[in-house]
Amino acid sequence: MEIFRNMWRRKFRSFLTIFGIVIGIFAFTVMGSMALKLNKMIDGGKKYITGQISIMPKGTDFATGQMSGMLPIDTLNKIGKVEGVEAVEGSVSLAVDEPNPDEPISMNISTPATIYSFDTTSNFKNKNWETLAMKEGKLIDKESADNDISIGSTVTLDKQWKLNDKVIIRGKEFKVVGILDKTMSGPDSYVFMKLPVARGLYIESNPFLKSLRDRSSEAANISDMELAKLSPETRSQIIQAKTFKVEDVSTMAAVSWKDGADPEQVVTRIKDQFKDEVVVLSPKKMGETIDKASATMNAVILGSAMLALIVGLFSIVNTMVMSISERTKEIGIKKAIGASPRSIAWEYTLEAGVIGLIGGAIGLGLGTLTAVVLNQKMASKGAEIFLIDTNFMIAVITFSFVIGLIAGLIPAIRASKLKVVDAIREL
Amino acid sequence: MLKVKNISKQFVSGDTTVKAVNDISLSVPEGTFATIIGKSGSGKSTLLALLGALDKPTQGQITVDDKDITKMGDRHLISYRRDSIGFVFQSYNLVPNLTALENVMLPMEFAGLKTDKQKKRALELLKIVGLDDQKAGRRPARLSGGEGQRVAIARALANKPRLILADEPTGNLDSQTGKVIVDLLKKLAKEEKTTIIAVTHDESIAAASELTFRLKDGKLIK
Repeated sequence: MEIFRNMWRRKFRSFLTIFGIVIGIFAFTVMGSMALKLNKMIDGGKKYITGQISIMPKGTDFATGQMSGMLPIDTLNKIGKVEGVEAVEGSVSLAVDEPNPDEPISMNISTPATIYSFDTTSNFKNKNWETLAMKEGKLIDKESADNDISIGSTVTLDKQWKLNDKVIIRGKEFKVVGILDKTMSGPDSYVFMKLPVARGLYIESNPFLKSLRDRSSEAANISDMELAKLSPETRSQIIQAKTFKVEDVSTMAAVSWKDGADPEQVVTRIKDQFKDEVVVLSPKKMGETIDKASATMNAVILGSAMLALIVGLFSIVNTMVMSISERTKEIGIKKAIGASPRSIAWEYTLEAGVIGLIGGAIGLGLGTLTAVVLNQKMASKGAEIFLIDTNFMIAVITFSFVIGLIAGLIPAIRASKLKVVDAIREL
Repeated sequence: MLKVKNISKQFVSGDTTVKAVNDISLSVPEGTFATIIGKSGSGKSTLLALLGALDKPTQGQITVDDKDITKMGDRHLISYRRDSIGFVFQSYNLVPNLTALENVMLPMEFAGLKTDKQKKRALELLKIVGLDDQKAGRRPARLSGGEGQRVAIARALANKPRLILADEPTGNLDSQTGKVIVDLLKKLAKEEKTTIIAVTHDESIAAASELTFRLKDGKLIK
């Protein structure tokens, strides 16, 4: 009680000091919740990406994500025969929404809804991701119709699509047969459809591939003699169209390894045999890259919040130094009537801790409220950007108390060492 | 009870050395109300600080109940002051944020007594010094000078000390209130068998005491 009375004695000063901590803890709570959410999403993604060997077409631009879209099926079949490989599955992904020519660049916080193909005939299984839990309906399978789709939780909210709805994607009609449970990672934004259907949409979206497909049957009927009579440019186009196979269209492929096999050795073997044809992404290296990026992101997010907190910490130190200076006589009295240096030090350290705790509680409350409100605003798009975690909140409040204790420690120790006679200045 | 043998206290300030207390020897029996009288600057407050183990003499010996306090380490002195000495200051020096009751409980809290026992004894002591329960709940700012000094005396008695040291206990009070305080100290010395040594410049207080020591320029004079 004496602590609160002492704080009340200097209301304005106490308010300013607490306010400094409030700002620091508010920033820490908001940024920390954002980091937690991002980490959870990254963890989900990392789990997925390290559960398979990813194959990309040669010529993929990793900076822009631009892909050639061609992974020849023959090459994938050969990869399937490499020692240690269990299964290979080609896949296609593209945005659900066609690009808007009036808005070529869109600033979206959330991941846009993405078509993700599902090869219902493949026996490929991601080592870290056995199955996707469903909230409603089912995940498309072998028995599903070609126009059946299963959608992620974010897609449901963003597009307002419900189970059994008939929806239009890129001019084609589909039926929603399943809605996934929230995964806090990639699949929340996915629209799963059968691979051949996804391929068809991809080809339609790519003028070059579309022209190859459209001309392939016509080109098949042109004899070699007729081919030789054509101009070199036209001849080359016809040859491309002749050799075009729809099955060669894949934006990436996933490789699983046999039980007991070392995935990194499998990666090496694939690289050795197919380095001129494909880009192979090792699960270990991908994991390391993600960890590095995640660590940097966390450092930036939390580092900025820590700066605000350090300012708050110094404000407590300043307040305690001033407070002790004003209460020197009181310290002398207490020492004269039997207070030990330890009890004096503890009294002032605790007072600083309480300031930290009060500031922390208010900052945490405001930060959590902000996160909840912003999440609610983004919930309609399924794009919550904060993760509100009880353990984190407990950690923040404990941390603010400890920060207060630390800030008060040195002034408190100085107070405990004051000489009684000097402090009282009467005797 | 209290034996002081050839104590001196020197203060050095730059090239100047000041002997605030110069070769003083005295003794005070148990249960005595004694006064140390002298003008301002005579060294009485310094002597009181030495007797109360708030400061250490440059030379000499102070024995309280056969314990040589001049040889005690800092930790020992803390518990000695807490358990054996009560202080009454001129400006009462009560903790402003605590009520009268809480101020009296404070030394007992430092001694590790349980809160309910602290409260019980504190109320008893306030009764002895003539303060009712209502005033016990007030903070020092809402007490009169005399009431504040009574609280200070009650606080000094909290841990049943063998020795109470009072520095100008009536210095900030009117004569009537001062007389009341002095009578209280006399009564406590007799009834509680506590040795009380008060430092004062007031001859009337010296006259009321059983034993008087006169100081001039740091020395005892007759």
